[in-house]
This record gives sequence, C-alpha cells and structure tokens, in this order.
Amino acid sequence: MNRIVMVGGLVVVAGLAVAVYRAKLGAEETQGRIDGLKAEVTKVEKEIAVLKAEEAYLTRPERIGPIARERLGLEQATPGQYVAPEALKQRLGEERLTLPPTPEAAPVAPATDGPAEQ
Amino acid sequence: MSVLDPPYEEDVWGPRRVRMVAAVLALVFVVIVGRSAWVVFNGPDRSADDAAPVEQVRRADIVDRDGQLLVTTLQGWSLAADPSAIWEVDEVVGALKSVFPNLNTTQMTQALSDKKRRFVWVRRGITERERRAVKELGMEALRFVEEPQRVYPNGALAGHLLGYTGVDGDGLEGIEKVYDERLKAGGDPLRLTIDASVQFVLEQELQAAQEQFTMIGAAGIVMDANTGAVRAIASWPTSDPRKRGDEPAEAKTNRAINVRPELGSIYKPLTVAAALEAGKLSVTDRFDVSAPVKIGAVTVRDPHPLPNARSVTASDIIVYSSNLGSSLIAQRIGPEALKAFLGDLGLLGGVQINGPQTASPLPPAEWNQTSMATVAYGHGIGVSPLAFAMTYTPFATGGDLVTPTFIESSDPAGVKRKRVMSRETAATVLAMLRRTVTDGSGKLAEAVGYEVAGKTGTAEKPTPDGYDPNRNITSFAAVFPASRPQFVVLVVLDEAEPRTGATRTASVTAAMIAGKVIARAAPLLDVQPVLGAPAVQTVSLQGTDGQGSEGVAQ
Repeated sequence: MNRIVMVGGLVVVAGLAVAVYRAKLGAEETQGRIDGLKAEVTKVEKEIAVLKAEEAYLTRPERIGPIARERLGLEQATPGQYVAPEALKQRLGEERLTLPPTPEAAPVAPATDGPAEQ
Repeated sequence: MSVLDPPYEEDVWGPRRVRMVAAVLALVFVVIVGRSAWVVFNGPDRSADDAAPVEQVRRADIVDRDGQLLVTTLQGWSLAADPSAIWEVDEVVGALKSVFPNLNTTQMTQALSDKKRRFVWVRRGITERERRAVKELGMEALRFVEEPQRVYPNGALAGHLLGYTGVDGDGLEGIEKVYDERLKAGGDPLRLTIDASVQFVLEQELQAAQEQFTMIGAAGIVMDANTGAVRAIASWPTSDPRKRGDEPAEAKTNRAINVRPELGSIYKPLTVAAALEAGKLSVTDRFDVSAPVKIGAVTVRDPHPLPNARSVTASDIIVYSSNLGSSLIAQRIGPEALKAFLGDLGLLGGVQINGPQTASPLPPAEWNQTSMATVAYGHGIGVSPLAFAMTYTPFATGGDLVTPTFIESSDPAGVKRKRVMSRETAATVLAMLRRTVTDGSGKLAEAVGYEVAGKTGTAEKPTPDGYDPNRNITSFAAVFPASRPQFVVLVVLDEAEPRTGATRTASVTAAMIAGKVIARAAPLLDVQPVLGAPAVQTVSLQGTDGQGSEGVAQ
C-alpha cells in the first residue's frame, strides 16, 4: 500500500514539475509577446508623432496660403461676400434661376417659393 | 538470541527510516503542490518587473486653440564619442569640423584626448543630414545616441511665446518654461488660446511693416476682449525656437511682454474714462487748448494745432489727440485719483496672467502734478504692450477689465473679470475711439465692415538727456467691431519711419498696420462684418463745430 502511495506521489510530483515548467515557459513566451507588442506600440506611437508633425508642417499657414491662392484660386473672404440671413432666401432664389433646366425637371412646375413664379 | 535481546533489531529501524523518508517526500510534495497552487492562483512572481527601468515620459505637445500642432517631441539623435577608442584625435576633430563648422575644436580636442573617458558628447540634437554625414566619416569611435527632441513644425511661428527647451529637455523660455512641469508630466497636449492662422497674419503684417518703414522692432497683440484669450501675440524681429536662443539680442527680446515702452497718446482714453468715472467730466465740457499751459513743473503744449482749439470737447481731445487737453482733464481729478484708476486697470502691476508674466511696469517715481500731466498723455509711465492691451477691454465689455490668458478653457468661470468703470463711461469712450478712426488720426486703421475704434499714440523715446524728438514709439490700440465689440488689437512700432519720407507719427505707421491686421484677422476669428447700418445705440458727442456728432457705441 505504502509503495503504491509512494509511486503515485512521485508520479504526481513529476507531473506537477512538468506542468510548472511548461507554465513557466508559457509565461515567458507570453511576456515576450507582451514586450513585442509594447515595442510595436511604442514604434507606432513614434510613427504617429512623426506623421502628425509632418501634417502640421505641411498645413502650416505659411505654406497653405499660397497653395490655396495659386492652385485653388481661393482668396480671403471680403465683407461684401457675407450675406445677412434675411437676404439669403432671395439670393438662393436668384441662384436657382441660373441653373440650367434638366430633362427631368423641364416638365415639372416651378418651385412655389422661387422668383421664377413671380 | 537471548531473551534479553531486543526482538527484530533490524526491523525496528526499518519502519522508522521508511517513515522518515516518507515524511520528507510528503514535505517536498506539499511544498511543490503548494507552490504550484500559488503560481496557478497568483500568477508568476513579478518582483523582477518592479526593478525594470521606467520608460521616459514623453514631453507633452503644445497645440493652438483648434488643435493645430505647434510643438511636439520626436525621437532624434545625438552624437557621442569614445576617447579610449581614438588613435588620432586631430584627425577625428578635423573630420567632425567638416560636418559641424562651428565646432569648438580646442575644447573637443581636449575632451577627446582624455583616454580615461569612455563617453564624451560631441553634439546634442543633430539633424538627419548631419547624421548621414557623420556616418559617411566611418569612424568607429563615434556613436549615435537616440534622444527625444522638441520639434517646431511651424518654424518660427509664435517663437517668442512658445520659447524653447535645453538639450536635456528643460523648458528655458516662454510657454516651455512657464509650463515646464505640466509638459514634463506628459499626457494631453497643452492647448493654447493662440490661433495659428491669426498669429501668422499678425507676424506677416509686422514683417511687411518692415518693408514700408525703417524700424528696429515691433510688437502686436490680438486678444478676445470678452474672455481674455490671446489669439495672437508677436514680436519682431522674430525668434526661432529651433535655434534655442542662439540668436542676436534684438531677436531674443520679446517686445510684446518683456519691454516697457512709453506708449504715448493711447493713454488719453484712459484719462478721459477716469475723469468721466469720477464725475469730473461731461461730454459737453469745453477746454481751451490754444496755448501752452504750465502744470506742475512741465509746460504742456500740443505739437499740432487743433481745429477750434479755444473750445474743444473731450471727444475732440481724443479724436485730434491733444496732449494739453488730456492734461487739463487729468488736472480735474488730480494725481492720486488718476493713479488709483490706472492701478485698477493693472497698469501699476499686480496682474496675474495665465501664461508668461509681463515685465513689471515703470510708473512715475512720484505721483504729483507734473507726473500726472504727462501720464495723462502716455509719457512718464512704461508698461509692456500686453499689460496695456488689457486696459482697452473695458471699452469692449461695457466696463469690465478682463485679464489676458494663454491657456484655452471652456469654463466661463475661468475668465478673470473686474468692474473698473460704468457701462455709460465705457460706451462714451468707445464712441470717441470710433470717431477717432472715422474722423481723426486713426483713419488708416479702418477695415471696411469691421468698425474699428481706436487711438493712435506717438511717444518720443526717453534718453538720459531727455526725450529724443527724432526717435518715436508709435502705437495703435483698437477695439472692433465698435457696434458689438469682440476683440482688442494693439500694434507698437519702435522707431518706425516711412521709407517714403512721410511723417513718422502713429497715424501713418501703427494705425495702418493695425487696420491691415484687423482686415485679415477678423474673418479668421469668425467676426461677422457689419452689413448696412448697425442697429446699435448711439452716444452723442459734442464736436468742435458745436453741432455735435455721433459715435457708435454698445
């Protein structure tokens, strides 16, 4: 009986030793993966910081102003380009008048709130 | 075997040994099982991790009010050398000199000749081009060290305000210094009140001013009058943070914060406000400014005659900028009351700004009739342009002094406001300022649609031998739009002389620059231009013709 207990105990101890060893190996592997991910996060964070700095460099007012002016024909808004809200309806109506009629729109009656009706 | 002999001698020790071995094995078993259970339920021992070096905290970014990146931290490179691995020091130093032309060869030769040392810094914070050039040298004793570096993507934009850090990452100037601890702690970016676009406009106009005038310096401020948020603050010549203070002295000086010039006639509206507030002045009161008057030890005269000089109103005194009229108004309230009023406006110090602090003011040594007479028109008192810009906020807010701030906050309770004058006084003076631009010395400051209200200031510069009539500080302080004031603008030019040979007064120098700044900055600040006649209250101002005139007010 004692012998059986002894042998059984030794087998359990051996099994546990193997289990602990494997657990340790697994923990080291996991730690390695965590370290790798941390390094990757740090690397990506650095890349993001570089990209943000590049974006700020490329969108700095000193550079964007001339590009907007020369390539897009954009100029700073002048007071004459602002419209009071009450004048907006009339302005929208005028612009609607200038739109070329589409084939589908041609047979349709003009909008009731547009100047075309007046 | 005798009966006296113990029975089964060899069997007596046998079971005992077995028991002992079994007990030891059982103990080992319990220990292993216990330890296994501990590992299973408590995880691995992490005490080793505690000793691991803590990763360096990345210094926080600085952004403008819209989140535009102004300053960030990137990994950069520094260059070091191992003297013990160098055979020919002169050869190494010569090669380094070819990459870094301003290298101190004597100092470097001395450092690299010390064979006991294993590490010597050659250059901190090198550029990528320099790094490539050093690599091409192919010298084994040189090594690159990765270090964080502060990067300024907008170059010199807002350089004076942002400041810079040393090679070890400590803030040495500007925002970098004032908020050093906050930035070192890392975390979210530090959001400033600055608007990068408005800052650019302001700096560009100050630079353009240099093309129209010969001048030795300039400063400009755009400030939200209702919140105190400084949207732009510039000093010319500009400072580039990337040079870390390695610039001439005139570029290092922040003329918006750290200088204390006498700003001249832009003080006159404050004198008028003080007298109105004290109940010692009415808009219909008239003054004779046709002849010099001695007040205290000084004889005050106007350098240019005013229309109808024998009978001018306070409004005329502002609009046509009469020194004598301003002194006569100050005389009504006396030096102590004037001192108290200017003190309330923060011109005598004691204002705590949320950001870089301004230079301490230079008030008169003694407040008497003489100093009162000159302070009334902006001589004999020196404050920084930022401290002065604050004094025009009451004209925009209906009487509240608003302290400038450089840190963006969405909390209205964070705005520092102090009641310094009545709504009526503020409205009356604002109307005078508007009339100054429409009818008086500030015409060049008008920006169509934005109802500029402001005052010119031309002050002779003090010298040890008295005031120099050939060297001026010209300034223009403004509020806009007058019918619903939102912003305060101040432009100060140092020794500006038009290249065309025109007169060097603020009416043709600072006023014009302020007008250009407002015209370009207003749309960027979402200020709606005034379309048609403004629906605002008007304040009656008695003019020189006796007919009265109207100025726009809140």
